[in-house]
Amino acid sequence: MNWDPTSPDTGVSRRSFLAAGAAGATLATSGCVDSVQNVVGKTVNGQLSLSITTLPADADRQGIQIARQLEANLQQVGIDVSIDMRSPSELLKAVLIEHDFDLYVGHHPAGYDPDFLYEMLHSSFATEAGWQNPFGFTNMVFDTLLEDQRRVDGAQRKRLVQSVLTALAKSKPFEPICRPDEYRVASTDRFDGWGEAALTTRHGYLEPEPADGVNELLALKTDSRPTSNLNPLSATMRERETIIQLLFDSLVTVHEGEGQPWLAEDITWTALEPADGEQGPTLTATVSLREGCLFHADERLAGDDEQLADEDRRLTAEDVAFTYRFLKDTSLGRAPTPSPAPRYQSHVSAVDRVTVDSEYELTFSMNASRPVAKRALTVPILPKQFWRGLVDRRAADGEFTAPQGRWIAATGDHVPPIGSGPYQFESRIEEDQLVLTRFDDHFTLRDDVDLPSPPVDELRFDIDPSSASAVRRIADGNADVTASMLDAYTLDGIPDSSDVEQLHRPSRTFYHLGFNVRNAPFSNTHFRRAVAQLIPKQTIVDDVFYGYATPTATPVTDEWAPERLTWDGEDPVTPFLGSNGELNVAAAKAAFETAGFRYDDNGRLLGGY
Amino acid sequence: MLAEVLTQLALVISILVPMSVIVFIGRERLARTRSEWRSRLRTAGPVIAVLIGVLLVNRVARQTAPELSRQIGFRLSGAFYELEGEFILIFQSIQTPETTAYFSTIYVYGYTFLLIFPVIAYFTLSDTRIFRRLLTAYTLNYAIGLVLYILVVAYGPRNLMPGELMERMLYNTNPQYQYLTSEVNTNTNVFPSLHTSLSATVATFAWKTRSEFPKWFPIAVVLAASVAISTMYLGIHWALDVVAGTMLAAACVSLSDRLVGRWSVAELSAQFADRLPWPQNQD
Repeated sequence: MNWDPTSPDTGVSRRSFLAAGAAGATLATSGCVDSVQNVVGKTVNGQLSLSITTLPADADRQGIQIARQLEANLQQVGIDVSIDMRSPSELLKAVLIEHDFDLYVGHHPAGYDPDFLYEMLHSSFATEAGWQNPFGFTNMVFDTLLEDQRRVDGAQRKRLVQSVLTALAKSKPFEPICRPDEYRVASTDRFDGWGEAALTTRHGYLEPEPADGVNELLALKTDSRPTSNLNPLSATMRERETIIQLLFDSLVTVHEGEGQPWLAEDITWTALEPADGEQGPTLTATVSLREGCLFHADERLAGDDEQLADEDRRLTAEDVAFTYRFLKDTSLGRAPTPSPAPRYQSHVSAVDRVTVDSEYELTFSMNASRPVAKRALTVPILPKQFWRGLVDRRAADGEFTAPQGRWIAATGDHVPPIGSGPYQFESRIEEDQLVLTRFDDHFTLRDDVDLPSPPVDELRFDIDPSSASAVRRIADGNADVTASMLDAYTLDGIPDSSDVEQLHRPSRTFYHLGFNVRNAPFSNTHFRRAVAQLIPKQTIVDDVFYGYATPTATPVTDEWAPERLTWDGEDPVTPFLGSNGELNVAAAKAAFETAGFRYDDNGRLLGGY
Repeated sequence: MLAEVLTQLALVISILVPMSVIVFIGRERLARTRSEWRSRLRTAGPVIAVLIGVLLVNRVARQTAPELSRQIGFRLSGAFYELEGEFILIFQSIQTPETTAYFSTIYVYGYTFLLIFPVIAYFTLSDTRIFRRLLTAYTLNYAIGLVLYILVVAYGPRNLMPGELMERMLYNTNPQYQYLTSEVNTNTNVFPSLHTSLSATVATFAWKTRSEFPKWFPIAVVLAASVAISTMYLGIHWALDVVAGTMLAAACVSLSDRLVGRWSVAELSAQFADRLPWPQNQD
């Protein structure tokens, strides 16, 4: 079971690897340890006891079934297991913010570019709260690979990403399980062109063309969190940020897996030759903003005279520069320790410096190649006036701390939100409904802009209790589209009717098992590998997803995965120890013993190791 | 969709109730009720007012309490699962499309009918005590149930074992009912089963009034038992929720006996007047 941590691609020495391990141990026992409740433990008879955190079936029909399959197999190898069901925001809070978990089964939104792995795995994020490195994983080999892949392009980058994936498949801070097929249904009665763009991007809600006289688009969501929180910084209130993209603009928009200028009218890229070797920026992006863009009208943007004028609402280079500074440290340097936003950290970490050149021009110095740099320009642009005011008011009384991901900038509901996006907030009924209306001043509505604009006056999201009821409502002609991805169990029952269009997109998202590597025994790579071998990925795909998923050994799509990590009927690195979903208990126990674990006479895996 | 489901429910109840009135109550009692309803309402007025108050509080609290519940409640889904395991899957053995249809109907329509009919039936009795006791028991069920919902955060079996319950989950076979149930409740309110406790309450009263309504008693018992089983069959409740519901029913029925008639409005106001520091009616 030993593997050589020294990757031939990078030539990192064994010594630096050990150093990273030591750093990891220090990180794990310092700082936020007070807030981490160690849930893993031993039962009275010394048996290892752990819990699997996941969502209830109402929120995710598949995750709980994966968790229970794993529960059964862990019990068979003599581990005491309990299942801890939490609502979507509570699950994310436990995993991302409080790091209070042993194992969790989750559905990661991934990203259109593999650089999301930088955020997930880089050691510098190991003590942070948020989407960045929730596992507490620290490994210098990874750090080097993750940094290197973002500095190069093309085939060179692909090779480095493949090295990341290979190392990941070996050391497993998390174990990818499968990529689910992404289905939605739409009614063709009132809109045309549903297939033009993915409904996970802003374009999905801008491309459809309404029939004559249709002025409202009704979309059904099964997740009610957007009705209670629209804060773009929140880590726990959303996985994907489609609604945020409608309310906020970004410099670059993602369409069909490609970044293209959006709020930026033009971007000029200049490659730099770093002076000596690796450090320093490698690329600059000179961005010209679209002129005359406004934020949505909101009294909180009013200047000192407390009268809201168009002047107060103007979106300029200052707001853009502020956004990047704010995401890097939401306390703006006023708190004793910086408080990076609990999101977008792989984005902002690619940016070294932002310089405002004029009212509508700014220059980004990037330490990344163009694909990664482009992705860095997709964050929502925030109004400086509002967010700086928030920090000022908090900092005014002197005693200002901004615990990361837990202070008002990241936890506030931000309703109504102040963005500049194509749609603006109109109203909401918590747990029930969110209504957005077309923002008439949006630049996409200008004659000389050739980008999709909001097609209807009103965009309404209704919260529907389940995928099954949402499908039925579409079939009955009582709504236009399902905004949430449909649960696999409903897919065979989608009515075959000319009025109902199935929208299918290959999925980048992945179900995975996450380990809290801060705590023993999950800090032990061999233990994680033995657990990974208890997951019958193929059976899960067949039984839980009814075949509407692809089992996988990597968290990215096959275009990035190296040949030796592609699925060939079983996991290429840690195959399931059994056949047809049935665990071979003797083999599985042997795997734990090889990993250095011991059993008592009753076949219980002992917690002391 | 919600409106559709509600209309359907109202329609079914509006057919079942008059039919049952004719079958179970009898003409003579109805005639007497016509002449005495005013005085009966007057006697039962305070009890009715309290019930309506509790129902209103419940309505508001079911939407707002989850937040409080998350902060102070005990998370017990794991514990319930640990304790009873896959017990409720025992009903797999009687699972057919017909039984699923039967229990779904019972869970939605049977239960609503079971709660409404005795209110009407007992109002036709000259002695209003049993009527007042029934309403008091309802009130206690809702009030104690609400407190327990706040204290216990637990998801039902359907949220833990969706695979095994697939074919018979109410919301798979009849997704429209979820509009109704999500309107009146949140998915972490499972302990105790109020479906069970209210049905058992009705059944207990049916036994107490079996001499007055001999034909109602067996019907009530069968319906109540079906409701209790349906909550487990459909994967909505754990067996522990049902046991707790039964115990809650027993407590509420016996408490209603102690509470009803203990205070009359007239006495209470007299007592209150005695405590006032200034003299009243000194003649």
